[in-house]
Amino acid sequence: MKRYLNFFIAFFAIQGYLYAAEAGMPQLNPKYWASQGFWLILIFTILYFSISKFYLPKIKNNLDDRENRIKDDIEDANKSKELSESKLKEYQKILEDAKKEVIKIQLESKAKSDKDINEKKEKIEKEIEKELVQAQKEIAELKKNSISDIHNISKEIVANIIENLSGDKLNESSIKAAVEEISKKNVGKYL
Amino acid sequence: MANNPMQQFSVHKIGPEIKIAGVDLSFTNASLFMIISASIILLFLFLGTKEKKIIPDKIQLIAEMFYSFVAKMISDTAGSKAKPYFPFIFSLFMFVLFCNMVGMLPYSFTVTSHIIVTLILALFIFIAVTIIGFAKHGFKYLSIFVPSGVPAVLLPLITVIEIISYLSRPVSLSVRLFANMMAGHTMLKVFGGFVISLGLLGGWLPLGFSVALTGLEILVAFLQAYVFAILTCIYLNDALNLHH
Repeated sequence: MKRYLNFFIAFFAIQGYLYAAEAGMPQLNPKYWASQGFWLILIFTILYFSISKFYLPKIKNNLDDRENRIKDDIEDANKSKELSESKLKEYQKILEDAKKEVIKIQLESKAKSDKDINEKKEKIEKEIEKELVQAQKEIAELKKNSISDIHNISKEIVANIIENLSGDKLNESSIKAAVEEISKKNVGKYL
Repeated sequence: MANNPMQQFSVHKIGPEIKIAGVDLSFTNASLFMIISASIILLFLFLGTKEKKIIPDKIQLIAEMFYSFVAKMISDTAGSKAKPYFPFIFSLFMFVLFCNMVGMLPYSFTVTSHIIVTLILALFIFIAVTIIGFAKHGFKYLSIFVPSGVPAVLLPLITVIEIISYLSRPVSLSVRLFANMMAGHTMLKVFGGFVISLGLLGGWLPLGFSVALTGLEILVAFLQAYVFAILTCIYLNDALNLHH
């Protein structure tokens, strides 16, 4: 390899001497080759060490920090998301329970009120019936009483009329018999 | 002399002559532009890492983009084993890229348009990769020259071809970058010269070409830095994960 290299350098050195004068290619003029090599090695070495010891670790740290930060943030976000999802589920459960409760309460209160209404209705109906029976009884009694009252009144009226017309006093029992007969015939008309 | 399109590549001494053991190591315009490129990289990285913000500002974002870009390039081509070499590849990519880009400025000097610079970088990579390969795999690393699944008749030929292709890596790597840079800058200079010599009437066409070429050259400057770095990654991959 070294021979190859030597050959290469020698070749270019000769070429350089040949062409530098003719075609003017300053690259092939070996006058400053050593100087360029020296300064290149010196400057590149300084550049390499300052980059590798100083700048690259800084950039790497910063990039790593950012990556970690992003990872942490994503983790946090995922945690928050899970938390909010569980909270949402809880909330929905509470809501559902409340709805069920509402339906239950509604049904219960409806049943209760229905029962109440029915009870009251029955009670009132019973009272009404009772009063109806009472009233019918009263009416029947009143009817009975009124008939005997009418009989008595009629009897008196008839006795008075006959006395006033003829001046005679008729037998009370005969008047009674007559009134009763007539009233029996006509009682259907009035009652 | 100014009309010579190769004039831009000439190296000249700045300041006093420095001679160490008879070798001329004078500070030149090439050294100056190496320092400028390296300083811009360091300044850029300094500004990019000055504030550690969770939400980066523009320059921090660009620095981080460079980091992720090179990191992705390495992990894609050479796998996770190449991680220790990340700083080197990053420095290499940045250095070549910024040298190329600084070279795009008018009146500047393109460091990477000199074969000696690219050759030293490529040779360093080649030697380092070879040492890494032997250190990781011992003599089994030589099996890189013997691809599997090749008929026995063709094997000697293929092995010779493989050895030649392996040894020509530094040449191809360095010449690719150097030639691209030199050709592009020469073209720019030639068309720029046409603009001047054709004057107000005829200069518009080469001016348009010049503008288009400048855009192309910026693309090439980036692309060649990328190619240089990714080829280094591929060579490293061969040394780290013996695939053949």
